[in-house]
Amino acid sequence: MNQSFNPTLDPTLDPTLDLVITRVIKAPRTAVWRAWSDPSSFAQWWVPAPAQCQVVAMELSPGGAFITQISENGSAFMPHLNGCFLAVEATERLVFTTCLVNGWRPAAEPFITAIIRFADHPLGTEYVAHVMHKSNADRNTHEELGFYAGWGTVIEQLANLVEQSA
Amino acid sequence: MDHYSDQLNQIFQALADPTRRAVLRELGRGVASVGELAKPFDMALPSFMKHIHCLEECGLIRTHKAGRIRICVIEEQSFVAVESWLATQRARWEARTDRLEQFVMTTEQQETTP
Repeated sequence: MNQSFNPTLDPTLDPTLDLVITRVIKAPRTAVWRAWSDPSSFAQWWVPAPAQCQVVAMELSPGGAFITQISENGSAFMPHLNGCFLAVEATERLVFTTCLVNGWRPAAEPFITAIIRFADHPLGTEYVAHVMHKSNADRNTHEELGFYAGWGTVIEQLANLVEQSA
Repeated sequence: MDHYSDQLNQIFQALADPTRRAVLRELGRGVASVGELAKPFDMALPSFMKHIHCLEECGLIRTHKAGRIRICVIEEQSFVAVESWLATQRARWEARTDRLEQFVMTTEQQETTP
């Protein structure tokens, strides 16, 4: 699904645990990079409105902390993402994980490693997010949370996702 | 994979509308005719049919004629696609990428217009 996927740069895709989002954004690579790497810009799109995002730490170097918080319905800010960067190549590639936290310390709740790539494209920037998930254990957590409770729940949750992204 | 994400996009688009969600909720309880489904809505039948077509096109429901009545049935297979955990994660990242794109475009516009 992603023609420019390069196995020499990225680990092999596991369709049961990975997802790859490819998008051509009609803006220069530096602009897309800035939206990602400038904390105040990043906070404006990372979570769906009306929820608000606060960047607690974004240390753009290997092992540097990457911590965000989220506030839903105007409530107090709660932990959202806690991880660290693994690779930072300005305007080209960002790799972060939630399996390690600040200073490569093992995380209590490992979940994903994400490889974000920015490449030149005739129309602007080719943006690729390759997100690798830990295992089915996470899937089970979702099941325990009642995600599969019934049609109504599923529809409601999906609708929320769609509405939040609108 | 491409086809799969196309279908997912269509499904999420279909789910973005409150009328269509209400129809799905109703069909989750059992089979119903278009007439029965349309009843709660203050809407002309042709407009309501558009919603039914949208749901049918993306495969969330299927319909068939029984005499002069059109019967709607929820398509469980499509829900398996959206229900899967990875699909939910995908939707989340798609939405996130939408927001990034929108943010970048808006910022760019502001910078180029004096």
